[in-house]
Amino acid sequence: MSRRIVGFSLTALTVIGLLLAGCAPQTVTVTIPVKETVEVPVQVTVPVPVSAPKGAVTVLGVWGGSEFEAFAAAVEPFTKETGIGMAFETSREQATVLVTRVQAGNPPDIAILPQPGLLVDLAKMGALVPLENIVDMDQLKKDYAQAWIDLGSYDGHLYGIWFKGALKSLVWYNPKAFQEKGYPVPTTWDEMIALSDRIVADGGTPWCIGLESGAASGWPGTDWIEDIMLRTAGPEVYDQWVNHEIPWTDPAVKRAWELFGQIARNEKYVWGGTTGVLSTNFGDSPRPLFDTPPGCYMHRQASFITGFFPGGVKAGEDYDVFAFPSIDPRWGVPALGAGDVVVMLNDTPEARAFIQYLASPTPHEIWAARGGFLSPHRGVDLKAYPDDLTRKQAQILASAEVFRFDGSDLMPAAVGAGSFWTGVMDYVGGKDLDAVLQAIEKSAQDAYK
Amino acid sequence: MSTVRRVLERLPLHLAVIGLCLIWLLPTVGLLVSSFRPKDAVFATGWWTVFRFPLDFSQFRLDNYIQVLTAQGLGRAFLNSLTIVIPSTVIPITIAAFAGYAFAWMNFPGRQVLFVIVVGLLVVPLQMTLIPLLRIYNRVGFSGTFLGIWLAHTGYGLPFAVYLLRNFFGSLPKDLFEAAYLDGASPLTAFTRLALPLSVPSLASLAIFQFIWVWNDLLVALIYLGGTEKVAPLTLRLSAMVQSLGQDWHLLTAAAFVSMAVPLLVFFTLQRYFVRGILAGSVKG
Repeated sequence: MSRRIVGFSLTALTVIGLLLAGCAPQTVTVTIPVKETVEVPVQVTVPVPVSAPKGAVTVLGVWGGSEFEAFAAAVEPFTKETGIGMAFETSREQATVLVTRVQAGNPPDIAILPQPGLLVDLAKMGALVPLENIVDMDQLKKDYAQAWIDLGSYDGHLYGIWFKGALKSLVWYNPKAFQEKGYPVPTTWDEMIALSDRIVADGGTPWCIGLESGAASGWPGTDWIEDIMLRTAGPEVYDQWVNHEIPWTDPAVKRAWELFGQIARNEKYVWGGTTGVLSTNFGDSPRPLFDTPPGCYMHRQASFITGFFPGGVKAGEDYDVFAFPSIDPRWGVPALGAGDVVVMLNDTPEARAFIQYLASPTPHEIWAARGGFLSPHRGVDLKAYPDDLTRKQAQILASAEVFRFDGSDLMPAAVGAGSFWTGVMDYVGGKDLDAVLQAIEKSAQDAYK
Repeated sequence: MSTVRRVLERLPLHLAVIGLCLIWLLPTVGLLVSSFRPKDAVFATGWWTVFRFPLDFSQFRLDNYIQVLTAQGLGRAFLNSLTIVIPSTVIPITIAAFAGYAFAWMNFPGRQVLFVIVVGLLVVPLQMTLIPLLRIYNRVGFSGTFLGIWLAHTGYGLPFAVYLLRNFFGSLPKDLFEAAYLDGASPLTAFTRLALPLSVPSLASLAIFQFIWVWNDLLVALIYLGGTEKVAPLTLRLSAMVQSLGQDWHLLTAAAFVSMAVPLLVFFTLQRYFVRGILAGSVKG
């Protein structure tokens, strides 16, 4: 009896199974795959190595889209002349990928890092090749300001050549709107505040600030505070602050935050109020400059922000720029900047040639001509830049007497890419300044150990 | 009369379901609308503003799609993705089917312990394996090869696949296999002629899971394969369209739908097995 039932259900199930198998091409996946897995590897039995074949150099960078195209164009003459090709990998998760590859033992030949902090980390790991004997040091000292050379060095060795720079101490404005209302371009902080009050009295909004940037929200505020700090306390105190030789609760630091708050926490000064400041993406924030009537009149942001401007606006006509003004006349108008540094991880003849080429003015000039690029290289012909506005910035960047690198990029990540960012958000959101600074100080005490 | 009452009774349910669906779909709809808007419009106003003039088709453009589809190296990236994804789906499922059957129906010493270890691997974050595995790969010359990434995806996919299939095979009636053995079937015959045909739904749903996971993967490819044009899959190529500070992110709206096309196709062809497969092993008999 039970045997018959089993037999019956067995046939029934087999029939169902066969039906399923018949109408389902998926059963095929179980049989064909075996063939396929045997077949496909045959095509790839010779593994394609990540490290490109001889006569090429592998480069890992963060540049994508038109940035990469510009860099590829800048490298073209090198490939033509030497026959050495470039295999470029773009990854915006560069720090993760690079550290993983270094630890696993297959780093790219060259990496282009957007922050000197990573250079120091890699140098400490012993992953970088010193460049003193690879590039002509005498020439390099002529081509780059000492500040840039120091930023590319660690423990007495040169590890990086700066390729692309960004100037941060800039205030963007709409010259047409300024002219129409008869506003002067301010040259001191007090004039700038007076102008802001005047704009408010005229019924306008002086500033556009946007702090939102995904997980990195708050960083535009850190640039503000760094710029103010350079102008109120001077470069030496700035360095002490970056190296955590003075605490975050120091009066000099507090004053910089207060001056930032004077603008960013003033509901009448900022487009959209403090809520707007907190929730507007940094890339979208300058757009009201170009509205009619202007949603705001001034925007403090680095040179790269032009890449976010709406299509069709013209440099010099629709937007212009003035240097973030002096606060304490003693410290004048220092320049805050950032940049990308080229480092070498594998000592190959190809990589040496590549580094030597990038230290020459040619690739800088090629990218400069395509726009959206500033070079810290002094040998770069200023005529290479596409417009006067860029030329002006390039000149400031290459020749600034007091130049400091973006401090948050130099601090340990837990502070510079952590509590400093969140502190800015908290402060603009209305939190008490002392509490904010104490919180950052607490994280800094752990991070700088 | 009664139908009216039934409709009225079920109305709140229907409204709730429709409401949930709308909330669920909203971000995707926003993405879709944005992907058809020109760059300046995307940056200037929210996607919902198109509904002010829903019949004004001039506000929709194909620019983003054209730019994404004509990007250099996209065809190659598509091929690379397929080269990665097909073996990376087929290999683990094949292995898992054998292993699942063995764990469910074959008696051998240490069966339970082995199974517990495999299930335990489910909770190991794959990020922990990146450096040690890459080191081994460098030594044997697998890094940057398709073979290497197939094996990596196979390893990462196996614990779940084995777990799901063992539970499915375990839920098949025991009598079935006893009868097969009585009729003289070897374990292999019982597996290929009996267990496999019965498990098509769960195999299909597993294939969907694994396919989509591998297709969307960025990290594993980035580490083991690298982003050079020769080997980079679609995800790497698309993410490289955005500049270092996120400029041109509007292209990602269109890129998302381009990249979605293949998984959607796979899902809809296999979806009738999908729900059945999810229920795999939930009811005995």
